[in-house]
Amino acid sequence: MAFYRGQQGSVKFDDAGSSTSTITSTRSWSLTVEKESLDTTALGDTYRANVGGLISGSGTCEVLYTASSADETNAFIKNINTATDQGVALFELFLDTTGTKKASFNGVITSAEYSATVGEIEVVTINFVTNGTITLSI
Amino acid sequence: MAAANLNTIRATIEARLATELALAPVIPVVFHNQPYVPTPNSSWVQCLVSFGANDYLTMGGTTGSSNSVIGVVAINIFTPKGVGPGANLTIGKRIRDLYNRAIVSGVHFDPPIGPEVVAAPAPEGFFQTQVRLTFETFEDL
Repeated sequence: MAFYRGQQGSVKFDDAGSSTSTITSTRSWSLTVEKESLDTTALGDTYRANVGGLISGSGTCEVLYTASSADETNAFIKNINTATDQGVALFELFLDTTGTKKASFNGVITSAEYSATVGEIEVVTINFVTNGTITLSI
Repeated sequence: MAAANLNTIRATIEARLATELALAPVIPVVFHNQPYVPTPNSSWVQCLVSFGANDYLTMGGTTGSSNSVIGVVAINIFTPKGVGPGANLTIGKRIRDLYNRAIVSGVHFDPPIGPEVVAAPAPEGFFQTQVRLTFETFEDL
């Protein structure tokens, strides 16, 4: 049985939503996909009934700051400053190094936390939400 | 981008000390695995570089990834016995100032510990203190 460790993952991103590039110095990522539940319980039922509703996703990505410029990593950590964001940015979150096991979606970066702590490596934490279809090729 | 060259890192650390102690007043310095017979009632320094924990920094495999390489430098300072700690601490200050928070050729030095007095000097016949400091460098594969 094959198991995977976190370092086998990776993140690709394109702010224009077309051809993604690897976000270098990625330390971690996470994606939570949620489905709303709609109560369809009828009067007189003994057990509560639910059906699935809208599906959405949100997540986070930690990137070590490297002062890179003019590449997708730089675009990624600055994307929060995009005006009139149409949510076209393309995210690909990989679970393995073969590049086939991934979650992909268009999304909006909703926050970026830039931090510096003495004695520690500087980290940029990006939070995002999905926009539209979430494809899980996992 | 390449795996860390441990000898380059060691040389960076040792060369910094050797250059400083070659300045007046000159203090003999000896490194790991080197024979040295100290002159009685003299001052001299022993520098020991050791590598320790390595850790993941970023995602990725054997290429396109980064690791943290951590190590420790232990510097023993020997001065004549029975004349107080002044001469020893003077050397200790030179060494401490040399590395304190410095970043040299990609090697990040943390604030030093010491000089701490060593109760049982080795070799005997000297007053011994020790300055220790951790360092971190980054390996890009």
